[in-house]
Amino acid sequence: MSAPLLQLTQATVRFGGLTAVDALDLTLKEGELVGLIGPNGAGKTTAFNLITGLYPPATGSVAFAGRPLAGLAPHCIVAAGIARTFQNIRLFGSLSVLDHVRAAGNLHRTASPLHALLRLRTFRESEAAVTACADELLALFNLSCFRNAPARSLPYGEQRRLEIVRALATRPRLLLLDEPAAGLNPQEKIELVALIQRVHREFNLTILLVEHSMRVVMGVCQRVAVLDHGKKIAEGSPEAIRQNPAVIEAYLGPDHATGLFHH
Amino acid sequence: MPKPFLSFLLALCGAWLVSALSAHLDPYYLDVLIGVGINIILAVSLNLIAGHTGQFSLGHAGFMAVGAYAATAVSLFLGPHLIGDSPTPGGLAENTLFFAALVAGGAAAAVAGLFVGIPSLRLRGDYLALVTLGFGEIIRVLLQNFEPLGGALGLNGIPPYTTPFWVIAAAALTVFVVGCLVNSTYGLGFRAVRDDEIAAAATGLNPSRYKVVAFTVGAFFAGIAGALFGHFKLTITPGGFDFTRSIEIVVIVILGGLGNTLGVILAAVLLTLLPEFLRPVAEYRLVLYAALLIAIMLLRPQGLFNFSLRRPAAPRV
Repeated sequence: MSAPLLQLTQATVRFGGLTAVDALDLTLKEGELVGLIGPNGAGKTTAFNLITGLYPPATGSVAFAGRPLAGLAPHCIVAAGIARTFQNIRLFGSLSVLDHVRAAGNLHRTASPLHALLRLRTFRESEAAVTACADELLALFNLSCFRNAPARSLPYGEQRRLEIVRALATRPRLLLLDEPAAGLNPQEKIELVALIQRVHREFNLTILLVEHSMRVVMGVCQRVAVLDHGKKIAEGSPEAIRQNPAVIEAYLGPDHATGLFHH
Repeated sequence: MPKPFLSFLLALCGAWLVSALSAHLDPYYLDVLIGVGINIILAVSLNLIAGHTGQFSLGHAGFMAVGAYAATAVSLFLGPHLIGDSPTPGGLAENTLFFAALVAGGAAAAVAGLFVGIPSLRLRGDYLALVTLGFGEIIRVLLQNFEPLGGALGLNGIPPYTTPFWVIAAAALTVFVVGCLVNSTYGLGFRAVRDDEIAAAATGLNPSRYKVVAFTVGAFFAGIAGALFGHFKLTITPGGFDFTRSIEIVVIVILGGLGNTLGVILAAVLLTLLPEFLRPVAEYRLVLYAALLIAIMLLRPQGLFNFSLRRPAAPRV
């Protein structure tokens, strides 16, 4: 068994008196594709914000590839190899599609800002490499036709895809997807499932997926963890989770716990 | 050779040409030209802070004051010790001294920019505007009460080192540096931070670093503009760098279009020339100037020279 890539140990986030994430234990091995589900307000996005350094844990710890993430600023965590997308799409309003991906390429450029002023060959080569890399990613995800368009002008589904491409351009080892299917129509959801599987396979990534759409979760995840009121109430294969009475109760209330099909 | 560098060299040639012909040109036009150049430097440098990086700053005149006083200290107090009491006017010694004074002015303002940049890490929008406004006023009041630098009377008898050459060269350098920065992969971070700080951090960019760099670089050039201004007017007083001066620069940047370098340059030219053209209407000049500003704001809220079809997001003031 390989060492875990991401390990949350008794991680807790509190907002005043509210415990949004309560002593969460979660372990992802290299190459896994894990789903994180739960009713609204269960703490899924808070768990993401905890992993990406937006919130510090009140107690407990988060470790990535054996290294504790405590005290690291969000941009350092990205540099360490964790990239994410957002539940509400957060693109840069004034940047073109290409520039979104180039901006993410900053982590891997070889020229410093001083090179930009001296206009030496190093600078031009570095810029060309970043742009080539960005174009390659855009082509891979069928976004090349929007290359120079302002990102905000893209159709909704393409905006979601661009966010994933931007995250991939930071060359992560772990990708966190926060409700990538939100707002997509059934056809787009099918395409998204294929996209996630492709990214997982071709980029050799470990993926943690927060999602409400059961079709997407059950379609791609190897393992699913369920949160309710900040606590992990179940974890296992998609099949096992579907049958789990605690999960059904969390979603539908205690009356339904005896089974979904009796009503 | 890459294009920005070529344009920069062309501008330097232009500067040399103007200075070679300056003896034959009407001094009035040369004075206007110097005023335009100084405003271009101020506006383009503020545009890096407020336009590209989205940090609304009302303290640009403060940076200008720091630069003006630091540069004057070099040329007025250190100068006689370094190059003697009667150097050849326009000679190498004078120009070298002035170069040193400009660099000193810029560096002093950059340090001030660094200190103002740090509160910008915690504040945004109107709160940051208030802090930068306060900073500008603090600078002014400090200078007013600091007798070794002339106190409220300011400094007089500053050597007339500012020539069209220096102004055009400095303006070209400002446009070159800001342009190269914001158009590079690195510089995408300025706009990314303005658009969405959290997303910028999630893309691996350090928002704090970008804000401090914007303030430091912007202040550096504002300091150079202040130094040029001092050696052009030959007298500087703390009152000359008050809040209204900052507002003038902000107006230029907003009219040109936040984050639009070319638009800001054109607006700087236009708004510097406008009062000159309005001279015939004498006492109504300021009224007309204000009316024109309101008209432009109403008719072209996206900036006078912004020709893109989409209206940019409103600046977070």
